[in-house]
Amino acid sequence: MENTRNFCIIAHIDHGKSTLADRLLEYTGTLSGKDLKEQVLDSMDLEKERGITIKSHPIRMDYRRPGGEAFVLNLIDTPGHVDFHYEVSRSLAACEGALLVVDAVQGVQAQTINNLYLALEHNLEIIPVINKIDLAAARTEYVTEQFVDLLGCDPDEILLVSAKQGTGVRELLEAICNRVAPPQGDPEAPAKALIFDSVFDPYIGAVAYVRMFAGRFKHRDWIRLYRGGATFEVQELGWFRLARVAQKTLSAGEVGYLATGAKDVRNIRVGDTITLRDRPCAEALPGYAVAKPMVFSGLYPTNNDDYDDLLDALQKLQLNDASLTWEKETSAALGFGFRCGFLGLLHMEIVQERLEREYDLDLICTLPNVEYEVVDKLGNVSLVENPALLPTEREIKEIREPIVHAAVLTPKEYVGAIIQITLERRGVQTKMVYLDPERVSLEFDLPLSELVVDYYDKLKSVSRGYASLDYEYRRHQADDLVRLDLLINGDPVDALTCIVHRDNAYSWGLKLCQKLKELIPRQMFQVAIQAAVGTRVLARTSVKPFRKNVTAKCYGGDITRKRKLLEKQKEGKKRMKQVGSVEIPQEAFLAVLRVER
Amino acid sequence: MEAAARGRPGGGLYLHVPFCGATCSYCHFARTAAHDAPLRRRLVAGMIQELALRRERCAALAAGRRPLATAYVGGGTPSQLEPELLAELLAGTVATLSVAPDLELTVEANPETLTADAAAVWRNAGVNRVSLGIQSLDHRVLQLLGRRCDPATARRALALACRVFARVSADWILGPGLRRDRLLAELDEALDLGIEHLSLYILELHTGTPLAAAVAAGRVRMPADQQTERLYLDCCEHLAQRGLVHYEVSNFARPGGESRHNRAYWAGVPYLGLGPAASGYWGRRRYTNLTEIADYLAAVEVGRVPEADIDPLDRRARRLERVILSLRTAAGLAREQLPPHALDLARGERAGLWTLVGDRLRLTDRGWLQLDALEGQLAAALG
Repeated sequence: MENTRNFCIIAHIDHGKSTLADRLLEYTGTLSGKDLKEQVLDSMDLEKERGITIKSHPIRMDYRRPGGEAFVLNLIDTPGHVDFHYEVSRSLAACEGALLVVDAVQGVQAQTINNLYLALEHNLEIIPVINKIDLAAARTEYVTEQFVDLLGCDPDEILLVSAKQGTGVRELLEAICNRVAPPQGDPEAPAKALIFDSVFDPYIGAVAYVRMFAGRFKHRDWIRLYRGGATFEVQELGWFRLARVAQKTLSAGEVGYLATGAKDVRNIRVGDTITLRDRPCAEALPGYAVAKPMVFSGLYPTNNDDYDDLLDALQKLQLNDASLTWEKETSAALGFGFRCGFLGLLHMEIVQERLEREYDLDLICTLPNVEYEVVDKLGNVSLVENPALLPTEREIKEIREPIVHAAVLTPKEYVGAIIQITLERRGVQTKMVYLDPERVSLEFDLPLSELVVDYYDKLKSVSRGYASLDYEYRRHQADDLVRLDLLINGDPVDALTCIVHRDNAYSWGLKLCQKLKELIPRQMFQVAIQAAVGTRVLARTSVKPFRKNVTAKCYGGDITRKRKLLEKQKEGKKRMKQVGSVEIPQEAFLAVLRVER
Repeated sequence: MEAAARGRPGGGLYLHVPFCGATCSYCHFARTAAHDAPLRRRLVAGMIQELALRRERCAALAAGRRPLATAYVGGGTPSQLEPELLAELLAGTVATLSVAPDLELTVEANPETLTADAAAVWRNAGVNRVSLGIQSLDHRVLQLLGRRCDPATARRALALACRVFARVSADWILGPGLRRDRLLAELDEALDLGIEHLSLYILELHTGTPLAAAVAAGRVRMPADQQTERLYLDCCEHLAQRGLVHYEVSNFARPGGESRHNRAYWAGVPYLGLGPAASGYWGRRRYTNLTEIADYLAAVEVGRVPEADIDPLDRRARRLERVILSLRTAAGLAREQLPPHALDLARGERAGLWTLVGDRLRLTDRGWLQLDALEGQLAAALG
């Protein structure tokens, strides 16, 4: 245990975390030349493509120091995105040290700071690393100053690395051995392990990734989940190399896995404590929480025949993703589908993309929205995540919406534009600090509903990609919110119903009406499009009926041609959705969902 | 039908003559202006040969179990055939079949090729109905359409046809350059001359035609849809006042003067088609012949049936055909044949698109203007 080091890497997207991890594997000989493909630890295609890590993937390295002393280094690769805050915090709780990696060109980002604070809260030893020093545009001195300001460290403590070229990697390995504290914990005490991740394996069932804090587990031990309460017999346990390697025991200080044989990961919650059924530890590890979905969206198969496939795919994804929630939902406009809950926007995008890519499904996703607390006249509070299910105005005393605390880090020239787009979205500025003459940290309280629509894209666009964002749920707060309905020939289109602030209802309604008018093809009859709050119509427009639409001549030879044409058109009509008496092309829904505020 | 002599309704015969004097700017049919006397003779021989080939392969045809009720010579321009050659064609085809006593035998003609001599020869060959491609009596409009004919020739042909034949039909086109009052006056003139039947076609632009190119280049402006709609509805109203029955989207007739041949198409009556690019509906399937004259002749001359395409109609196809063809006609569609919930019947009736009379849905003039959309909706509902 004295020669074991458990550490993680904290870095912003694209700051080179995965490349650095690969280099550590290479220099410790964990990875031989033939295994050496880029970014080994990011196992999903999607991760490689987007350059982000979604699932943490630990690995155990054997390192022999120049003097010959042998060390065990456990690298726990943390998820790199704000949506996975909780997962990040659990990964950090499994370590004693963290490499804080910052890109020499881009400098410190909002999320890096947040994760740094999180690491400091967990008392981790922070090793500052400036990566990509080989780039011509590297601003090593400037980033060094940022680190000194941020950490109060000595410039000499900062490691200069080019993961791409291998510069400084040996020094980094030495720093890990020298600076990170060895794990503590009594191997003879009742077993106590933290679950920092879980995956589903089709052969051995749900697998818990654990950090041992005390005691030991053996093959065939009966274990119990402290919070979840379930008990399992250990089917297999071991360490992580590039793949899992079975062992006889796992003991205090080690990082490894326990195969439980459970049929999905819902019982193996991240943050829970595992102990022995017959010799439990006295108390659980602190910090357990159930990650709650924050963002919701209806997912519908474009073709209704794919409903069962979508259900199957969601079930499969859920085996591996305990934070994905869904329930069946029926929309008059879109048919049968699911209302899904996600940790955040990225989580939502990832799930949608995996469904489309890995399961080859064609989906319609409704506007992302959030969970409201609705207080009725009697004071009863209910949770509403589907705007179409909001009670009528008369029954409601107030609607409370989730407010997040958003931290934005930006070069100073974009401050004005960022404040403007944030205020437009009902944000309230709570703080502005110049971190240095160039960089500003802005903090806002902002309704999550505004953030989920397009705030991130807007932020990137007004700052030419330089601003970074981090956010965290704070509270639910009442505001003057109304339900805006879109009606087509008097029938509400549930998929387009949204909850908006009363002040924005008119302009949003008008935009939706105009967009729909452009997209709904002419029909046999006039189509009336209205946006309404309750019974009050805020905006209206209409699609005029067909003009002349007739094949004047149809004699013998034309009959086959005509019929074949109709049969071809019929295929196109399958992609139309029937709303009342009106046919709306699939594209219209998609386009409306993309309407800019 | 009267010709149901031996229990079967009479069949039809269509003869396609793919020759024209000149090509009209809007035409996309199978036709050529490049032909000479030997080719014309070869074609007529080929069509007679085609009938023989078909007869060899079809017992019903050989036995004459389905007497011929109507025959129609179309094109192209059948009047491009020398009158004697046309008579020969009829003698080699119509006259060899078992024929109903009241056979309707129509020939299409262009005004500039209809002469008194030709008319006499035709009548002697059994032709009892002529369909004249007038299109307009306005010099400017005829020019826009690329017609060779001038208004005077057209008027002369109308008068001649009405003198020689008891049953005369004329085609008019609703296209560019029209003015309402002038058009209605032209129709009146033709009716006063004695035609009993009028086909009024809304011009369609087909890509690849000279007219489409002229429109694309801005040399010709097509009327706005609204204008065409107005004109169509005005013509319908006017012709109704003159006592004509609007019995199909584009066809009007004095009572009893309907084209029985065309009506048979819309009723799904079997007919044989002979000649290049001709199509037929015989033996519960639709077929289309080879389009190119050379290919067509090469096939029949070696004893091969010159079909290029066969459409075996399954039950679904038959059902769809019945729906779309019935809606074209004034008889309309039996309500039991409407797919359920395909149309908002009450709303359409209120909007004046159709009427519900007894058990039938009948489109109004206004409804016919939206026929394609309606068919699309019904086709989708039929699944």
